[in-house]
Amino acid sequence: MIADSVHAIWCREFQRDDIAFDDDFFALGGQSLIMVKIQGAFIEELGVEVTMDELFRSPTVASISAYIESLDAVAP
Amino acid sequence: MILQGKRVALPPVPVVHRRFEEHVAATPDAVAVHRAGRQLTYAELDAAANRFAHHLAALGHGRGAKVGVCLDYSADLLVAILGTLKAGAAYVPLDPAYPSARLRLLLGQIPGLALIVASPDTAALVESATVPVVDLAELADELAELPATRPDVPVTGDDVCYAVFTSGSTGTPKLTAVRHEGWFNLMEWLRLEYGLHSGSHHLVVSAFGFDLSQRALMTPLFCGATQYLMASRNFDAMLAHRMLKQHEIRVVHCASSTLYLLVDWETARGGDALARLDYLLFGGEPLKPERVLDWARRPGTTCTLLHQYGVAECTDVATSYDLADYRPGDHEVAPVGRPAHNTDIHLLDERSRGVAPGEQGEICISGAGVGAGYLGATGPENEKFTTVVVDGAPRRLYRTGDRGYVTEAGELVVLGRIDAQVKVRGMRIDPTDIERALGRLAGIREAAVVVTHTGAGEAELTAFLVPEGDDAPADDELRARLLETLPRNMVPARFVTVPRIPLSPHGKVDRAALAATAQPAGQADDRNDRDDGEDSDDRRQRARHLVPGVPAR
Repeated sequence: MIADSVHAIWCREFQRDDIAFDDDFFALGGQSLIMVKIQGAFIEELGVEVTMDELFRSPTVASISAYIESLDAVAP
Repeated sequence: MILQGKRVALPPVPVVHRRFEEHVAATPDAVAVHRAGRQLTYAELDAAANRFAHHLAALGHGRGAKVGVCLDYSADLLVAILGTLKAGAAYVPLDPAYPSARLRLLLGQIPGLALIVASPDTAALVESATVPVVDLAELADELAELPATRPDVPVTGDDVCYAVFTSGSTGTPKLTAVRHEGWFNLMEWLRLEYGLHSGSHHLVVSAFGFDLSQRALMTPLFCGATQYLMASRNFDAMLAHRMLKQHEIRVVHCASSTLYLLVDWETARGGDALARLDYLLFGGEPLKPERVLDWARRPGTTCTLLHQYGVAECTDVATSYDLADYRPGDHEVAPVGRPAHNTDIHLLDERSRGVAPGEQGEICISGAGVGAGYLGATGPENEKFTTVVVDGAPRRLYRTGDRGYVTEAGELVVLGRIDAQVKVRGMRIDPTDIERALGRLAGIREAAVVVTHTGAGEAELTAFLVPEGDDAPADDELRARLLETLPRNMVPARFVTVPRIPLSPHGKVDRAALAATAQPAGQADDRNDRDDGEDSDDRRQRARHLVPGVPAR
């Protein structure tokens, strides 16, 4: 499941393992430097390019996973 | 000690949009702005800006008026800016990446605010405004009825062209006004000194609220080149690199911390679009040369890296330094170089006397770039704009509050803030000096040092550290290594490991947030007591949760 992979990336970049799927990125203390790392990890590990605007619009593991799944659904 | 910039004559009426209009006349079909596949030529952008200027003039908004611009990067944003200038008014960037509550606070501090240009995507952010909010797309029919020719509005070099908010160390934003002459001088200096021309296409990567973004937006139009804009509200290294690969972009202006992200991206993922630019201009915060030097010294990196210094109060850039000249062994801090044209740097002591060459003093700026001051300021901040007598003639001068010195080679070096200096056990200390020393130690990725107080009310230094690996070196080891380079009073009493250093919305270290995470005074006595039942992991964990983040820019 994509959400599990996304969750693993978030936990690694935040250096903590107690992140819930609906925790807000900013409430967790996130800032743009971490978002850039997550963005890069999505490219390397999931093979998807997600813009920063989209990452800010979907600031939870659940919502960004749903967005990535919607990309897969339209991919050929 | 005065560091003098070259004197270069400006035209009798140094007005920024006049230079743009010269390019309109010379190359009307050249592309002025490109965004997401859409382009406007110089002639098209000029016509649209003229119509908006007529619209403003018809409403009676001219010299002295302020037009708020709350738009994402777009052709309309340039239409709004140029139209405002042509009407003789000044624009105020209202960054759509700010939360609406922040914008509400800023809106209340703009004297003479006439109206705000917004779009359907940004209008909700400024709905608290008490002035009209207009959408250029919605106005299209009305604007089409207005002349596409230039309005006959006299504008002088002394008129204000834009005003930006500077955060200020107190956290209260102040609106600082820039004059046409200063802005013209800045871009004319960049054009002449670095040979920018009609092929010097730009990409804007910085947030609209930044003063450097005003320069990044206008410089290509000042040089007859093309402005590339990203369809992105937030800084996006991925999109930036995509744009750099796809287009003939030659110049990028950014904050130093943004440069690190662009360099990291290219280093991690390959490519050379950044390395092959003509110029990267960066500054706005102390440079961490180690973040860029490996990349900069690769054979494929042909880009000239300009490390710059300046303040919004004096039109953004005052000095510039080619980082290729930097030898880390020579100076602990990378210099910021020599002054812009028609700009002087004064190093003064506490009594406004010049310091001797090589000695530290407060960095003060005089010359064409000195701005019109803070708008609507009621506090003492306008006292930072002052007058000194040089060779019998009075010169308007701005005291930056920054501390620096001039090297033997005649390059300015910025060391830190004067008001960041703190007294610890009678010794004046600037925490940034300690941060630099910590940053050089193996095992430390980043460090921020703040003043905290013991239970007895005594000031002491607390260092917040981001380790390279999982753990920072032990406290005792850190102290021992710091003592090799720092006086005893400058070695922090406490070390706290944090996952990251919190940044202010403008990307600077948020010392206030860090100080707030330090233990309250009453509990501070445990600093030498490791038997308080709390192991280092607990400490670390707590610091992690306590260090607040801020919404990214």
